[in-house]
Amino acid sequence: MPDPAIDRSIIETLRANFRARLSSAASDRDLKALTDEFLSRKSGSVTALLKHLGSLPADAKREFGQLVNTLKGDIETALADRRAALDDTRAPAGAVDVTLPARELPMGRMHPLMRVRQQVEDIFTRMGYEILEGPEVEEDYYNFEALNMPPDHPARDMQDTLYLDAPIIGGTWGAHRGALPEAQVRAATLLRTHTSAMQIRYMKTFKPPVRILVPGRVYRRDNLDLTHTPMFQQFEALVVGEGITLADLKGTLEALVHELFGADAKVRLRPSFFPYTEPSAEVDISCRACGGSGCGVCKHTGWLEILGSGMVHPAVFEAVGYDPEKVTGFAFGTGIERMAMLKYGVDDIRLFYENDIRFLEQFPL
Amino acid sequence: MRILLSWLRECVDVPGTPEAVAKTMSVRGFAVEGIEPVGDGDAVLDFEITANRPDAMSVVGMAREVATAYGLALTSAAGSGHSADPDTARPKADAAASDIDIVLESPELCPRYVGAVADVTVAPSPAWMQARLQAAGIRPISNIVDITNYVLLELGQPMHAFDLATLTGRQIRIRTARPGEALKTLDGQARTLTPEMLVIADAERAGAVAGVMGGADTEVTGATKTIVFESAYFNPLSVRRTSKKLGLKTEASMRFERGADPNLPLLAMTRALALLEEIGAGRARGPILDRYPNRRKPASLRLRRGKILGLLGVAIPDATVTRILEGLDFRLTPDAEGWQVTVPTRRVDVVREVDLIEEIARHHGLDQLPSTFPALHAAPPPADPRLARARQLRAVMTAAGFFEAVTFGFVAVDAAATFAADGDLVPIANPLSENFAVLRPSSLPGLMAAVAHNRRREQRDIRLFEIGNRFSRSGGERRALACAWTGAGSPEHWEGGARDVDFFDIKAIALRVAQAMRVDAVVEPHREAWLAPGRAAALVAGGVRIGVFGQLAPAVAGRHGLSEAEAVYVMEIDLDAAERAGAGADLTVAPLPRFPSVTRDISILVDETLAAAAVRTTIEAAAPPTLVRIREFDRYQGKGIPEGKISLSLRLTYRSPERTLTDADVQSAMDAVLTALRAQHDAVQR
Ligand SMILES: [Zn+2]
Repeated sequence: MPDPAIDRSIIETLRANFRARLSSAASDRDLKALTDEFLSRKSGSVTALLKHLGSLPADAKREFGQLVNTLKGDIETALADRRAALDDTRAPAGAVDVTLPARELPMGRMHPLMRVRQQVEDIFTRMGYEILEGPEVEEDYYNFEALNMPPDHPARDMQDTLYLDAPIIGGTWGAHRGALPEAQVRAATLLRTHTSAMQIRYMKTFKPPVRILVPGRVYRRDNLDLTHTPMFQQFEALVVGEGITLADLKGTLEALVHELFGADAKVRLRPSFFPYTEPSAEVDISCRACGGSGCGVCKHTGWLEILGSGMVHPAVFEAVGYDPEKVTGFAFGTGIERMAMLKYGVDDIRLFYENDIRFLEQFPL
Repeated sequence: MRILLSWLRECVDVPGTPEAVAKTMSVRGFAVEGIEPVGDGDAVLDFEITANRPDAMSVVGMAREVATAYGLALTSAAGSGHSADPDTARPKADAAASDIDIVLESPELCPRYVGAVADVTVAPSPAWMQARLQAAGIRPISNIVDITNYVLLELGQPMHAFDLATLTGRQIRIRTARPGEALKTLDGQARTLTPEMLVIADAERAGAVAGVMGGADTEVTGATKTIVFESAYFNPLSVRRTSKKLGLKTEASMRFERGADPNLPLLAMTRALALLEEIGAGRARGPILDRYPNRRKPASLRLRRGKILGLLGVAIPDATVTRILEGLDFRLTPDAEGWQVTVPTRRVDVVREVDLIEEIARHHGLDQLPSTFPALHAAPPPADPRLARARQLRAVMTAAGFFEAVTFGFVAVDAAATFAADGDLVPIANPLSENFAVLRPSSLPGLMAAVAHNRRREQRDIRLFEIGNRFSRSGGERRALACAWTGAGSPEHWEGGARDVDFFDIKAIALRVAQAMRVDAVVEPHREAWLAPGRAAALVAGGVRIGVFGQLAPAVAGRHGLSEAEAVYVMEIDLDAAERAGAGADLTVAPLPRFPSVTRDISILVDETLAAAAVRTTIEAAAPPTLVRIREFDRYQGKGIPEGKISLSLRLTYRSPERTLTDADVQSAMDAVLTALRAQHDAVQR
């Protein structure tokens, strides 16, 4: 080897070599190898330099010895620092692999129709409505006759009715308000075709003012297809009192539509006909697919029909014993499926009744 | 109703494109379902006409609406568009000799019958007439039949033509059918009539079902030389009943049953005879015969400004009211509060003041109304607790991993029969199909179908529930919560612990529901035809069974499209009964314990057939009131345990509300418990 007393550059070469090796040392193994290479008693390169000191003259020995010892100290410090840094990244005792899968915590979902129904209930609760459920099997009088659809009325054809082969008792309602036994369904002969039957039961039991929302299942003799099911969900609102107007109906419908479909949804009332309201109006909202410019979804009209509505027909008030000269009222109702289809972009109503988990789980908790 | 725009424009000079007209009329109450261009800017508009507006089912009827919507006048082509005074248009007398005798036997069912005889040459009608019929969707047949259809489209009056030569006795008798009387209608069907049906007959037999369809034997044919035109007004209810009973719906029956105009038949007859001459198909012979014994007078209604304001929420200027109503052919006489309004007889839908207000609202424009909000004048009534309950149960079930299902209220008979006592089903009289034949006695058949649907689609672990009504003849309509669970009870995990659902999973659900409803319930063994024997239990509260749960009998699972080899656990709870058994909403909080508890474990050997509940009952009876909890924490059978025995380990917790219990207190309690277990169950302490 060259004379170290003359060649001090060997120290700097060794230092540079160590720095380069240290920068790529990333594990305990790397550090161990580095320690052995430079500091091992037998073969460490720094150790080798120290061993050589004895062969040097005294002056050179002192000067060179200091330099080697400084190098050794620097290497030891650097190795200790790196070891400490590695220790900081080391998993503590009892550590787990946090990237492994969680234990499954099963969580079901509310049905989308019930989701929309609850949303509607909440909107009306905030508007001061009483939410009520009525019986699904009904008497002809409540489903038709008292709603200004006497036997043989042509409007009965608008709703193809399912009849029971013999009368049964219906479900109870209004117990929390002390609705009397007379208010209950005693001999149901048909499946209600609309929740409007509850208009009659309620008004025959309670005096005005009335402000109710009736959600529930209704039945029609319709075959299953993309837009029809023989059973579907409706909700029906009824407000009766002194001074209730068509303008109030319009304001209420706008509030409902804006809550359900956003403030930019436009509302249009179109005159129509229902036997139990006069005037009657269909309610359209601006098409959600095209924004109102016209497309296949809205049959190029820019509008989608969502509701039937109107002012309560005086014949209905007469049937329940309200004085049509004193009170007025409005009613409106619609299918919850229709709302849900529009809200969630569902194009086949049957999906709601297949209860396919892959469909149901798409709705949020 | 399909209306040709150019034909409409002959009656009212409406500007704009077909689309613009459609848009305007849609918000006036006549939605347009389709626009079909037919060249030259002309189009067929398909108007949806609501059941209350038979008067609008014609070109002139629609023209009247269009004229009012646009503030236009009707042209002379719509001549007969406004009510002519029925008297002025009446023929002076039909004293002049006629070739036919009209005998009106049933003026109740046929308030008016107008007939006229004409000599004709049967041939195809001119091209323009055929084109208009075809645009409306009516097939041209011959000039005579086409005239009747043309008048139907133009004025809305259904007409009919008989071949005079086929009428025995040269007579038309409007009478009810004789019992069993038969008639072959124009569609070639042989019909048997009943005595409440009205027919148009000759001296001997029925030749047409009045207002519904003509007969094949009296039909106008190529050989016909003389015809009788009929233009009548029939009782709407009678036509409706006849049409329904015969299952025969026609353009004529549809109009008559909704209500035609009793003052239109004569005008229509005049128009038909004029057309006959105009197209060279023939000419009238003799007078028009008009049988109209009780002339229908137009109704008169009061219309008050205050009511308009009260119903619409906005005042409508008098001039607007007058313009709209007069445009629609109402006649107004002002009075102090508003008007006295004469209603044209064609407007069968206008019988009350509100009907007039609707006309005003319709043509004033619903878009012109302000938007207001109804004021609350009373406190809202208390909420129905059922709705909150349904929401709570929905939260409980979804938190337990169940997806909510909504299934139909009716099911197939065989699916239902499994879940109902004999004869306790509620059949539907007119079901759509066998799959919807009876009301569901339980939500379980519907849930089974939903489980099967999911199983067929690669879903193994399925938990579904439904809250809904079920029906029986004995119990009527009752609310229930049902659920079904198959596949994993504890889901798969890399660390293990996966297992399939078992009885104690579904039991946990039943108890959770009871807890949510604050029902103090116990579980008892139970037998149910649709549950697997030995794996069925009842949830009982106060001696009343409020629910049933367990493993679905494999054979039942098999019948519902599921594998018999895979266990399905189900539960159904009667919500009405559970509600009655529940503690209600009132709650008083109990003070927290002030003294520490002491626990002791015991292990005993007992018969394997001994129910855990029996052991618990014995312990409860023997221990002092300081025993607050019993928990079975191990049940072992096998090595070291004699045949027919089990080792049962229980943890008993004692606590006094008054002081800290001593070892001696607990020891004496345990001695009493063990003595009782030995005495009653031959239990041996291990
Ligand atoms: Zn669109």
